[in-house]
Amino acid sequence: MEEENNILRETVAEFCEKNLDEKKIETEGITEKLTELIASQGFLGSAVPDKYSGSGLDETSYEIILEEIAKYSPSVAMKIFILNSMYYPAVKGTSAEDTLNDASTGKISVAVDFINKAGSIESESGKAKGTLKNILGTDADKLVVFGDSTSIVSGPFKSDSRDFMGFRGLKFGDLHLDNSVQVLDKHSRMAEIMENSYGPASAIGLGMISGALQKAIDYTNVRKAFGNKLRDFEPVSFRLARFRAMESILRNSLYSRIDPYYTFNFAMEHLVEIARYSVNTHGGYGYFKDFGVEKFYRDAIVMKSIFYGTDELRKLTEHVYSEKINFV
Amino acid sequence: MFEELEDYRQKIREFALKEFTEDVAAEYDRKESYPDDLRRKSLSLGIVDMQNPAKVLIAIEELCRVDAGLGIALTTPYFGSEVIMLFGNDRQKEILNDVYSGKYILGLGVTEPSGGSDVAALKTTAKKQGNKYILNGSKMFITNGAIADYLVILARTSEDSNPHHGLSTFLLNTKSKGFSATKLEDKLGVRATNTAELQFNNIELSEDDLIGEEGKGFYYIMMFFNISRIYVAAQSIGIARGAFDKIKSYIKENNVKDEDSMFRLSDVGTRIEASRQMTYNAASYLFEFKPKPELTSMAKAYSSETAVYAAEEAMEILGDESLYESVQRIFRNAKIMEIWEGTSEIEKLVIARYILKGE
Ligand SMILES: Cc1cc2nc3c(=O)[nH]c(=O)nc-3n(C[C@H](O)[C@H](O)[C@H](O)COP(=O)(O)OP(=O)(O)OC[C@H]3O[C@@H](n4cnc5c(N)ncnc54)[C@H](O)[C@@H]3O)c2cc1C
Repeated sequence: MEEENNILRETVAEFCEKNLDEKKIETEGITEKLTELIASQGFLGSAVPDKYSGSGLDETSYEIILEEIAKYSPSVAMKIFILNSMYYPAVKGTSAEDTLNDASTGKISVAVDFINKAGSIESESGKAKGTLKNILGTDADKLVVFGDSTSIVSGPFKSDSRDFMGFRGLKFGDLHLDNSVQVLDKHSRMAEIMENSYGPASAIGLGMISGALQKAIDYTNVRKAFGNKLRDFEPVSFRLARFRAMESILRNSLYSRIDPYYTFNFAMEHLVEIARYSVNTHGGYGYFKDFGVEKFYRDAIVMKSIFYGTDELRKLTEHVYSEKINFV
Repeated sequence: MFEELEDYRQKIREFALKEFTEDVAAEYDRKESYPDDLRRKSLSLGIVDMQNPAKVLIAIEELCRVDAGLGIALTTPYFGSEVIMLFGNDRQKEILNDVYSGKYILGLGVTEPSGGSDVAALKTTAKKQGNKYILNGSKMFITNGAIADYLVILARTSEDSNPHHGLSTFLLNTKSKGFSATKLEDKLGVRATNTAELQFNNIELSEDDLIGEEGKGFYYIMMFFNISRIYVAAQSIGIARGAFDKIKSYIKENNVKDEDSMFRLSDVGTRIEASRQMTYNAASYLFEFKPKPELTSMAKAYSSETAVYAAEEAMEILGDESLYESVQRIFRNAKIMEIWEGTSEIEKLVIARYILKGE
């Protein structure tokens, strides 16, 4: 099993090295051609069952794919995550399930709105009207909207895309709806979906930590100041070494499935700090796109800001207080 | 001193709110271009008064509070002027007057591609030939590099066993033959400021272009850092306050009451207050021409880390609302504070050295 995972890891890393030019992805976006390529490798629909043209991979394999891809391109990892960890569980077992075929093969793109909570759209006789703000993936053909119920809206959509700091490979902006809506579930599936996504979201966080940290370690191994390599200044190398230890603990925690709450919390708590420090170690160069480190910092804060707020802390706290108490 | 300038502070605040609208700030950020029209407008209104250092700090803080990209763009055309003011000759001071009046834009080049922290290791040379100096080398990340009329340049004029000796400062006219500047693009933040890489190819400088005495350049630049680091502290306080403004409005508008948010709000507020006290304290020594480098470095390091901290807190507290460009711009702008005019690590080395010296 471990050997299989290592082979998968190497295969994904090789693919990324060859095909994921993050600077290009950041300026041009994830093109249709690239989406097809990712789909042809079976990465796009990693966790979608094979009956829906996905790869039907287990959780660990899916997370390895996310982790390895996020080291190179957090945007591509996020696109895969949106399909497998948000869209798929939202449409699973519903009449919209067959849209997964086209989504897994990259023929259509999908988005999920978990921000507007559907308060801003109205549906009248099966038509959705209104504007959804701040959607990641405005080029979507299908959109799952969480409100009091879970529904799906079919494109094409009118959209205003705008510059966005994080996950720049995905288009971002507002979607204007004037389309048919189908109610998939009378309840909102959002809370459950978010909680089940802790593992995969941690895998993306881990990949970003790993990618940013590796850049810092490589750079401090060659860059000199005051006649020494930066690694020779112990406040710098101690910190990077501590971060590597944290990265390793996070990886072990994720794949041994000890506790997704703790893993997710640990990933989100350290993501920004490590990405920020990677920028630091690069001095002035870190502030420019060319060195490929500032993007981890941007993506990290966006990820933390939208995935990890008071709600998640409350869930974590509840989890802690609900554990069996042995000593009192 | 600062309390007496409340009216002036208000004037700057009004200017910034009127001119740095969200559309204008977003536009310059997107285009990554220098706002020369705004610079001219600010000159005509006397927004930056270089004769009054307390006013300079207030202007930097209030402008950066609304938008740091534009705020810094409007307050850096004078960058390096203090070196000329303190050590320059009469001709250079005439040029300085034209910098103050807005006719010329100034910049200062210390950092090189091979390093910025280790100033004494710079490789640019100005070799003396007869009564001329021949300047060769390159500079990296120079603010105003591609738009400046004059640049204060630090270069090696002689080899010495002590690397701090043998460095000199020059006032370089950017129209000189052999000078070229390439604008650097795709910065994370402060994108309304101009940043460039400079090349010097056998540029002839006269003795008249030398600022102060030959061989004293390193010390002049260290003296300059005592001033410019206070400016960066003021930029940082401005950015932190801008982030704080966003947090406060979010909390009020959304009627947020939870204690966790209250604690975070109070932590940001406390750090801003501490940054301000430290900066004004360090500045008070400087204004009496008795700078205390350790206090300056403490203020710079602490305030810049506060700017980053406040910006990240704003992103996190606002959560989904942080997806709007205006909040993100604060976050992107903040990070440069910990890098330029000495990284936090370099400030720590200065602080430690002075603490031990004082024992
Ligand atoms: C937008 C922008 C504008 C700028 N404008 C100007 C300007 O107008 N004029 C100018 O001269 N420069 C300017 N700079 C350059 C800036 O001052 C330098 O980038 C900065 O001083 C760091 O130098 P460096 O980039 O060479 O990093 P390095 O010196 O290579 O440092 C890299 C990392 O190593 C760390 N480090 C170095 N030495 C030690 C040590 N002894 N112990 C522990 N850690 C250490 C640093 O803290 C940093 O984290 C600008 C930079 C930017 C990004």
